Amino acid sequence: MKCTVCGKEAVIKLRHANLKLCPEHLVARVEKVVADTIKKHRMFTPDERILVAVSGGKDSLALWAILIKLGYRADGVYLDLGIANYSEPSREFSEAFAAERGLDLEVVKVTEELGTGIDGLLRMVRGKACSLCGTIKRYLLNRAAYKGGYSALATGHNLDDEAATLLGNILRWEEGYLTRQYPVLLEEGKLVRRVKPLIYLSEREVAAYCIISGIRYIYQECPHSWGARSITLKHILNELEDRYPGTKLQFLKGFFKVRQRFQPPEPVELRDCPVCGMPTAAEGLCRFCRLRERVHTISIANGHHGSTS
Amino acid sequence: MDMAKLKHRDKTYEVEAGKQLERAIRELGIIPETVLPVRDGKIVPLTHRLEEEEEIELVDVISGG
Repeated sequence: MKCTVCGKEAVIKLRHANLKLCPEHLVARVEKVVADTIKKHRMFTPDERILVAVSGGKDSLALWAILIKLGYRADGVYLDLGIANYSEPSREFSEAFAAERGLDLEVVKVTEELGTGIDGLLRMVRGKACSLCGTIKRYLLNRAAYKGGYSALATGHNLDDEAATLLGNILRWEEGYLTRQYPVLLEEGKLVRRVKPLIYLSEREVAAYCIISGIRYIYQECPHSWGARSITLKHILNELEDRYPGTKLQFLKGFFKVRQRFQPPEPVELRDCPVCGMPTAAEGLCRFCRLRERVHTISIANGHHGSTS
Repeated sequence: MDMAKLKHRDKTYEVEAGKQLERAIRELGIIPETVLPVRDGKIVPLTHRLEEEEEIELVDVISGG
């Protein structure tokens, strides 16, 4: 198998792009797709400061590496979620990546914010792990970006993530979510602009980029994601992709063309949370502060004080 | 019969040497799009013919949650 670009020995075939690539040209393609995506969607400019949400996984570390290589001013933030046998190795990969390259990484610990981590929360309050985690991540990442004065918060969502989310939202006709699914969500008050520069790259391309570039990342999956709906949707999409190459990309790009046909039920007015001052669409406390209050109340009722992780 | 090994998650499969890697992966019920074959830290192309006693790890590329 020869590289479509240079004719050297290829290591990967990208059927959706009709390309066979050697390591050098796989790296070049991935970086070009990211550079083009940033420009096409006007995500940010080289003089803006970007905060990358880093998880220790392949996508976020690849994203950070690419942004730096492309000359962007990107720092990282790692959320220590307090998940046993997972958060610690994830943090170690993130910290090692930053240290080896002399990059700035802020570590935010959920246990310090809520008095307990995700494991402890799941024992205390009802709710699905991914949903709870989503609430916490959205709040803490936005707060870190806002307080740090960053222009945009970049996440490592890739084509597979976005196609699976889209399929899930369509299956349930979640019109409100559909209107907000886009590579860039503009800033609004204290909500920092959110961008997804990897959105047109498959997970396989991103993983290949990491392996070729020597980026060490955590292979292990979050233990709470076992059986998650998003993984099932990804497998279904990959079966379709296997039969009809290009399905995922066409699905997502096609959606972006018709997305404006979906309208949010009614405009959402954001207020400042009376406790933390961060924006919320809810009356009274924001979801994060409500969660913190519940944890505090349950801790007192259970006779716990301090960390329950 | 000469055999090669394919490691996927915590399992190791013995497969016939000489077989094309993509075919061997499909015979394990794995969609090639969902894994990257890696040997000694390098990606192995799906067109590769398995060699006797070689070990290839199939790294999952699907992440989720």
